[in-house]
Amino acid sequence: MSRSVTQPEKVQPEKVRTDLMPIEPPDTRSNRPRLRTAAVGIGASFALASCASNAPQDTWAPEGKYAQDIHNLQWPIFLIAGIVGVIVFAVIAFVVVKFKDRGQPIPEQSHGNALVEYVFIAIPALLLAGIAVPTVATVISLSDTDNADCVVNVTGQQWWWEFDYPVDADGNICGFAPTGEAAPIITSGQMVIPVDAKVVIRGTSRDVIHSFWVPKLNGKRDMVPGRVHTWNFHANQPGIFAGQCAEFCGLSHANMRMEIVALDDADFQSWIDNQLEPYQSPEQGTLAAKGEQTFVSQCSRCHQVDGLTNADGELVVASPEQFVWSGAAPNLTNLMTRNTFAGGSWDLITEDRRQQVWEASSQRFGALYLEGVTEGTLNEIDLKEWLRDAPSKKPMYTDPANLESTNGKTRGMPYLALSEDQINELVAYLIERK
Amino acid sequence: MAPIEKPAPATTPAVATPSSSYGVFRRPVESTGWKSWLFTIDHKKIGIMYGAVALFFFLVGGFEALLIRLQLAGPNGTILSADKYNQMFTMHATTMVFLFVMPMAAAFANYFVPLQIGARDVAFPRINAFGFWCFLGGGLFLNTSWLLGGAADGGWFMYAPNSSIPFSPTNGIDFWGLGLQITGIASLTGAINLIVTVINMRAPGMSLMKMPIFTWMILVVQFLLLFAIPVITVALFLLMFQRNFDATFFTVEAGADPLLWQHLFWIFGHPEVYILILPAFGIVSEVLPVFSKKPLFGYPLVVFSGCAIGFVGWGVWAHHMFASGIGPISVAVFSVSTMAIAIPTGVKIVNWTMTLWGGKLTYTTAMMFSIGLIVEFTIGGLSGVTHAVAPSDTQQTDTYYIVAHFHYVLFGGAIMGIFSGLYYWWPKMFGKLLSEKLGKWNFWTMIVGMNLTFGPMHIIGLQGQPRRMYVWTEARAGEGFFNLGFWNLVSSIGAFILGAGVLLFFINVLITSRRPERAPLDPWDARSLEWMTTSPPKEHNFDVIPTVGHLDEFFHRKYEDRGEGDHHDFHQVATAEAILAEQEANAEAHIHMPSPSYWPILLAFSLPVMAYGIIFNLLLIPVGAAIALGSMFGWSLEPHTASAGDYDPPAPDGSAELEVSTHG
Repeated sequence: MSRSVTQPEKVQPEKVRTDLMPIEPPDTRSNRPRLRTAAVGIGASFALASCASNAPQDTWAPEGKYAQDIHNLQWPIFLIAGIVGVIVFAVIAFVVVKFKDRGQPIPEQSHGNALVEYVFIAIPALLLAGIAVPTVATVISLSDTDNADCVVNVTGQQWWWEFDYPVDADGNICGFAPTGEAAPIITSGQMVIPVDAKVVIRGTSRDVIHSFWVPKLNGKRDMVPGRVHTWNFHANQPGIFAGQCAEFCGLSHANMRMEIVALDDADFQSWIDNQLEPYQSPEQGTLAAKGEQTFVSQCSRCHQVDGLTNADGELVVASPEQFVWSGAAPNLTNLMTRNTFAGGSWDLITEDRRQQVWEASSQRFGALYLEGVTEGTLNEIDLKEWLRDAPSKKPMYTDPANLESTNGKTRGMPYLALSEDQINELVAYLIERK
Repeated sequence: MAPIEKPAPATTPAVATPSSSYGVFRRPVESTGWKSWLFTIDHKKIGIMYGAVALFFFLVGGFEALLIRLQLAGPNGTILSADKYNQMFTMHATTMVFLFVMPMAAAFANYFVPLQIGARDVAFPRINAFGFWCFLGGGLFLNTSWLLGGAADGGWFMYAPNSSIPFSPTNGIDFWGLGLQITGIASLTGAINLIVTVINMRAPGMSLMKMPIFTWMILVVQFLLLFAIPVITVALFLLMFQRNFDATFFTVEAGADPLLWQHLFWIFGHPEVYILILPAFGIVSEVLPVFSKKPLFGYPLVVFSGCAIGFVGWGVWAHHMFASGIGPISVAVFSVSTMAIAIPTGVKIVNWTMTLWGGKLTYTTAMMFSIGLIVEFTIGGLSGVTHAVAPSDTQQTDTYYIVAHFHYVLFGGAIMGIFSGLYYWWPKMFGKLLSEKLGKWNFWTMIVGMNLTFGPMHIIGLQGQPRRMYVWTEARAGEGFFNLGFWNLVSSIGAFILGAGVLLFFINVLITSRRPERAPLDPWDARSLEWMTTSPPKEHNFDVIPTVGHLDEFFHRKYEDRGEGDHHDFHQVATAEAILAEQEANAEAHIHMPSPSYWPILLAFSLPVMAYGIIFNLLLIPVGAAIALGSMFGWSLEPHTASAGDYDPPAPDGSAELEVSTHG
């Protein structure tokens, strides 16, 4: 990453828990299922596109049931298409060489050959019929969103994703009983799910159409305002899976990312319990305590921190609908349990830490992730830049001069004219939001 | 009823001569100089203007493409801001689709359909001119948005509700919608005009199944336009009322469903794909037989598969919406119908290959572009099959894999066909051969450039890079052979090679236009009627309207089959020069051509005036409307002919050029 170049040494982790360091080489299991295709023509080049060090959004590296279903369907079709292509090109190459004008007489003025025609209609028709049957079967099976193990509500908004976890009739969240009092969990940027479970998302949007896409776990599904679309996810192993808004959604479409984080059952239970822990104010007299006041005065108009109280001891309730056109802002109650901020486009953790998390083996991943952001692993630079002047980091509609059409409401986080002191206080406060 | 196919008996006036007295103005008579272009209603001049303007917009769209590729050459590009980038890809697509490929097809159709069917003009010459000026006016209007607050930024698909005022407060989308309305008028009038022309004005003996294949494909395209343009027109009107008059068609809070726009757009948008590609198929189906010295293999099947594509093309629109949430049954149905359309498309590939089979192939530049089309389009077609498979498409849609796919279809298909047509028909249009040597450089740089540009996009897309992102970052780029960084760079380098290839064409035009040599009358030993007249053709196209006995009539006039039974043995019995000389010797005495007219350009001019009015000041609308009404009256009341006195010096009575008939 280019920004890691500017990362000063002081924010390198001082104490690294060696028991969490990956001791195995990076996981290469995604190589296996595709080697059988590797021998054949064009199909081979596509199959190679799934080697382990490939892009995190590789569409040929399924890590869960639904993505695997798609992959089982697509690789033979690529193979067939590749073979057909090679045959067509070979025939054309042959014809181009063989029938070059070398002074031969004018050829017969033949208008065609019915048998050839029928054969070449029948062959593609049969091939396509053969493709159509499994296609339709897979379409139907992928769309079955009944009998969910876990339900998460997903809402797209320019330009970030919100995830909220409803409490079901039995007081459970995603089938897990919280140790303390059950309440809905609201988070953003990273959707945490239990591993090997059928997770159904109920998705919509607060403004324009977005598309929820985490290629290693499933294909994409549009999130349309006014409609609720359901879609399945399933992860075989604990890990972090990259995703991105895939439907053009305006100015900062490129900066609207998300990840799905899969945790094993014990870790998922810890995650839920941690998310539901009651709010703790910073200790009196610390920088963070000042930061709490700054947060109340500067941030809490839009950003909710559950349990936060003001100087009078009253609960502070954010009202983003008054300031933000689409009506919401990320809930920051447990910000530092996530790895990213600002629509998933910037890391809350340092580059080194990021690599550890992303390359961790499935056994070690959960513990690493649950550690969240610590003072040693905080990516202070990007976070401070963001607090200093968010719109210059991520294109958004926040300039008061241009907000006529939205009644003065912004689309995205505005420039807040915070002092460096305020920024330091806020960072100190936010680092405790875990 | 411009051209009258049979000379009227000499004793009666050609048309019941209406007095010119109820014309307020005279009709223009210039046949040279700038006025002859502004007021022309000659299908050939209109065709050339369509082509020139379309090629200009090709350069504009290409420039936009190069800026896009510069931005994406490396991570976190800074050439363009997010805002400018969004405008750039919106206008790149809009320009290439509506202002280059469509009008380029209109250029060839205008110029060559009347010639191929042995007619003297199109059915409604003045409407033809009106259509061209609408295209030019709409295209310029659309591009003035760059200077008036920014271009449209919602993507060429302009999905609601992102196209509504709160999400796109500049006037860009207003320019886009109104500009496309105006160019839509060009397409619609052109469609009606060409349909009537092809149905009614074919030379005697030319039954539909003896009609040149290019004309056939153009006919299919005109029917597609006739039914598709009204759909986008409705959608654009909804958009206009949404943005300019506070309507709530796409306001979700008011109960709107944003999928309405998607359905309307793609019900237009998918037939549009065939509108873009079928003319190129027609061109290739003309060029391959000529340079193989064989008729098109399976002509009836190529015709019928073209028609089949035209029909089935209406039943596949929702394959653009597999991820939109239209339900599994719809997805399954559209998935299968999309596979079905691959069959007639495959038929074309097979028939072209079989046309080459056993032929006597000469590799001119036109032929190379045509063979290039077969190869590149096949790649695009096969990647198309991979996303006809809907579950696979949910991984691929909105990624660069789709960008790769449709550029193989549209650049590898439509544009290869267009360049083939340019090289093939250039001597017919301008009487000069383009340099074959430069042409081959042109072909090879373009083909290398296009594969370097669009080939890597398959990888980029399957590696998960979505489209329409103004930056990509190394965090999502991966390492190793398939990393996004390397392949984005290759693609950007390819784009500049491709740009250089395109420039070679314009250099070729410049160089050859300065050379004195005239092209031979029949440089390719061609097969269809447009080659049976002078190059460029006379204003009235043919001295004698040919009577047609064969498909490939011109070939059969030049060659005679001396074989017996199943054995064929073709010998040349006539040259193009001899055939032309015979025609000139027997030239028809009374040829009626319509006069130029002031009104088409003026009527077309009124439309951008009204469109600016909708955006900036409603008072401009009555001004534009007054111009429109005045032009309509002028149009209907202008004299039916230019009278002899209109010429300077007055033309001698009885000259062929003088006898003009009227309605345009």
